[in-house]
Amino acid sequence: MAIAVFFVFAALAIAGGIGVISFHQPIRSVLSLVVVMISLSVMFLLLSAQFVFAVQIIVYAGAVMVLFLFVIALLGPARELGRGRLRFQAWLSGIFVLVLFGLMYALLQGVQYRQPEKADLSIFGSVQWIAVYLFTNYLYPFELTSILLLVAAIGAIYLSRKRTGIDDL
Amino acid sequence: MSWLTSSQTIALLVLLFPAAGALVLAGRGWRLPRKFTVIVGPGAVWAAFICVVNLLLNRVNADFTYWTWIKSGSFEVPFNLLIDNLSLFMGLVITGVGGLIVTYSVGYMEHEDDASYARFFTYMDIFILSMLLLVLAGNFVFLIIGWALVGLSSYLLIGFWYQRHSAVVAARKAFVMNVIGDVGMILGTFVLFVQYKSVTFSGVFQGVSGCPPPQFLVGCFPSVHRGPDSLAVELAAFLLLVGAVAKSAQLPLHTWLPDAMEGPTPVSALIHAATMVTAGVYLVARMHPIYDVATYAHGAVAITGAVTALLAATIAIVQVDIKRVLAYSTMSQIGYMFLAVGLGAYSAGMFHLLSHAFFKALLFLAAGNVIHAMKDEQDMRKFGGLWNDMRPTSITFLIGSLSLVGVIPFVGFFSKEQILGAAFSKPGDSAALILWGVGALTAVITGFYSGRMWWLSFWGKPSPDRPVEHPHAPRLVMMVPVGILAVLATVGGFIQTRALGVGPSIVSDFLDKVVTPQRWEENGAGIGVGIATMVLGAGLFWWARSLRPWSARFPWAQRLLEHKYYFDEIYDTVFVRPMDWVAGFALRDVEKPVIDGVVVDTGVLTRAGAAGLSVTQSGYFRNYVLVFVGGAVIAAVILIVKANS
Amino acid sequence: MSNLVIGGSTLDASWFLGLAAILFVLGTVGVLVRRNPLVILISIELMLNAANLALVTFSRQLQNYEGQLFALMSMTVAAAEAVVGLAILVDIFRTRDAEDIDDLSELKG
Repeated sequence: MAIAVFFVFAALAIAGGIGVISFHQPIRSVLSLVVVMISLSVMFLLLSAQFVFAVQIIVYAGAVMVLFLFVIALLGPARELGRGRLRFQAWLSGIFVLVLFGLMYALLQGVQYRQPEKADLSIFGSVQWIAVYLFTNYLYPFELTSILLLVAAIGAIYLSRKRTGIDDL
Repeated sequence: MSWLTSSQTIALLVLLFPAAGALVLAGRGWRLPRKFTVIVGPGAVWAAFICVVNLLLNRVNADFTYWTWIKSGSFEVPFNLLIDNLSLFMGLVITGVGGLIVTYSVGYMEHEDDASYARFFTYMDIFILSMLLLVLAGNFVFLIIGWALVGLSSYLLIGFWYQRHSAVVAARKAFVMNVIGDVGMILGTFVLFVQYKSVTFSGVFQGVSGCPPPQFLVGCFPSVHRGPDSLAVELAAFLLLVGAVAKSAQLPLHTWLPDAMEGPTPVSALIHAATMVTAGVYLVARMHPIYDVATYAHGAVAITGAVTALLAATIAIVQVDIKRVLAYSTMSQIGYMFLAVGLGAYSAGMFHLLSHAFFKALLFLAAGNVIHAMKDEQDMRKFGGLWNDMRPTSITFLIGSLSLVGVIPFVGFFSKEQILGAAFSKPGDSAALILWGVGALTAVITGFYSGRMWWLSFWGKPSPDRPVEHPHAPRLVMMVPVGILAVLATVGGFIQTRALGVGPSIVSDFLDKVVTPQRWEENGAGIGVGIATMVLGAGLFWWARSLRPWSARFPWAQRLLEHKYYFDEIYDTVFVRPMDWVAGFALRDVEKPVIDGVVVDTGVLTRAGAAGLSVTQSGYFRNYVLVFVGGAVIAAVILIVKANS
Repeated sequence: MSNLVIGGSTLDASWFLGLAAILFVLGTVGVLVRRNPLVILISIELMLNAANLALVTFSRQLQNYEGQLFALMSMTVAAAEAVVGLAILVDIFRTRDAEDIDDLSELKG
């Protein structure tokens, strides 16, 4: 049963991924990404990461994607793009990407998995479990990311204010 | 504070005063009023004169070392000044006669604008400094530094009116020939250093003469030995002679001196009569331990002097520019000095140096008075009859001319006859007798050209081409130095009347403490012959009054003399033209394509490389990401392959 | 060792990793090939998600907390980065006609 779930949502994720890079209209790309994110959250659930699953949907699919949609609304529909200026881009990209994929595949073949540590799988991935580690071992990064978010917010406000004249930078 | 007034400090002050004068005038003098320049310029020289007199009165005789300039292994060059009778003697001439001339030029150069006026005195102070450094230096390195600086000052002063093409060309010619001399000096120093491992005078002279180490040179007489090092000493003596010949304008490096008359007249008086050109004589006297051993070089000195004296005197006969007559006369008289020191009569040569400084400076300055009054006209044929218009100048010029000829009681008689007497009387040296003959002949010819010069300029009716109807009397500041020199030329002889066999020998006594004394006396025949020569010379002086046109009978001789024995033409063909060709070749075919090419091509290559590389900076975001990803992939592949192998 | 027992069945951790690899490569292609700046940002988000998947997979395989916590941090950073990136994007392309990243080539040469 879990296997079936995995393969269905894996296929969905890949389809979404292809959709992201293929659609001409950005709104369709965004929506494809939403599909990918929901599929991935199901994967997280499969992997016993309940909290991450919730956060993925709330934050990523819920907030970040909405942000993208707002921007698309602001900028309007995609205007007609002419021919690209870089001619070799597509071919070279293809080559490199294939090599990259081959690399990853080869790596996967030779991966030596470590012996898992014995943990209690009943609470693994639960909110309490995450909270314990978040506020003890990962306290420092936790605080830093809050500052990071503050900085990002200030930056976003500053960058998007109305430009009045030449002196405004 | 006693070090302030110690002789060591005063010796250094002799150099520092003119240096300070030059620095001040060069830095600020051209912006300050003329009165400032008038005080600082000559003042620096007189201050140095006072210091020299102080050293003289204190009978200073020492080798002062101030600091070590270079010390590298066993090679050591100190900055030391050798203060002994010889250097003080020269110092007196330089600062005393120099002071008079610099004071004179306050008046002579009055027509210059303020900036050029200050520039002139800057150069004069630089010259005095370099000349003093030359005579006071205690080692070869600083001697050569002073030597070269004197050549530089000469260049700057000859070409003072740099807008004049002829002046610039003459300055360059003087400088190039002086550099030939410099090279000889440097090579001579090298030879001596290799042989004796020292560059100080005391070090080298010790080695040459094998003396026990004395504190100074006083009382060290060389013993003539023919050791294995005598070849080196001979070579060094010849090389040093090259330097002396170039600086003193003797044959064959003499062609620059007549052209140097392009400079202002005080320059000609100071540099080309009284001091710079006598540096060669000083050099031979200072290097007497070397020349006493190197007999061939010593003989070469005498022969060079005698030949130059005769040749120059003959050329002076046909000159029409008053300064050129005096220039060739200088060449001739220095020939006498070389003859004297070449025979071993060092103090006689130095005495003639002193007396020549007096009367030649006198002649030049008086001529300057005439030129100044004649609005810079120098052709004697356009003078005439100045006896009536410029009486004092005429009289002083006459005194100088008679001194030049060597007529009693003027100083020229005593110094010249001492030299000729020494040549005549030198025992066991038949060559000296031949040289005496040359000298005596020269003295007679000297009488002729001096007379011609005086009668043409000052006697008779005024020439119809005279530029000024009534030439004005010279200013006081120009007349007083002339007067002082005239007095010195008249009474100066009486400090050394050795030529007559009786009387005081102040100069010889003074200098013989340092240089080798003349070991023989003039015999009675020598004195008699000397008087006869004087009479002949004076006779020709009078005969020149009538100026019989003898040249019409020997036109080829006239042409030969007017072309100065074609030395300039020969040098031009043999040296100057080939060098021009080589220089042109080097410029066209070596400098431009190869050397310039390398430098320029480096730049061109760099630019081309940069242009080529800038293609990678396309400005496109996607390109950069591609390179990024590609690089990461390649790096990963390499790492993994390495990890697996 | 790579076997994960989930809900009674046995899955292989390498499947999840393979999926992550595919998604990552797709994201890279998107960044390299697409010219619309918005789509480029979205592709970057895709790559980040793929990385998160790999992290959580290993966390489950090693039965370790670190992978999940790091994934949380990664999400936070991704959110911040998306915000700032979009702000810049809006600023640049608000007044332009076409949304083409190749227009921003003033640093050429």
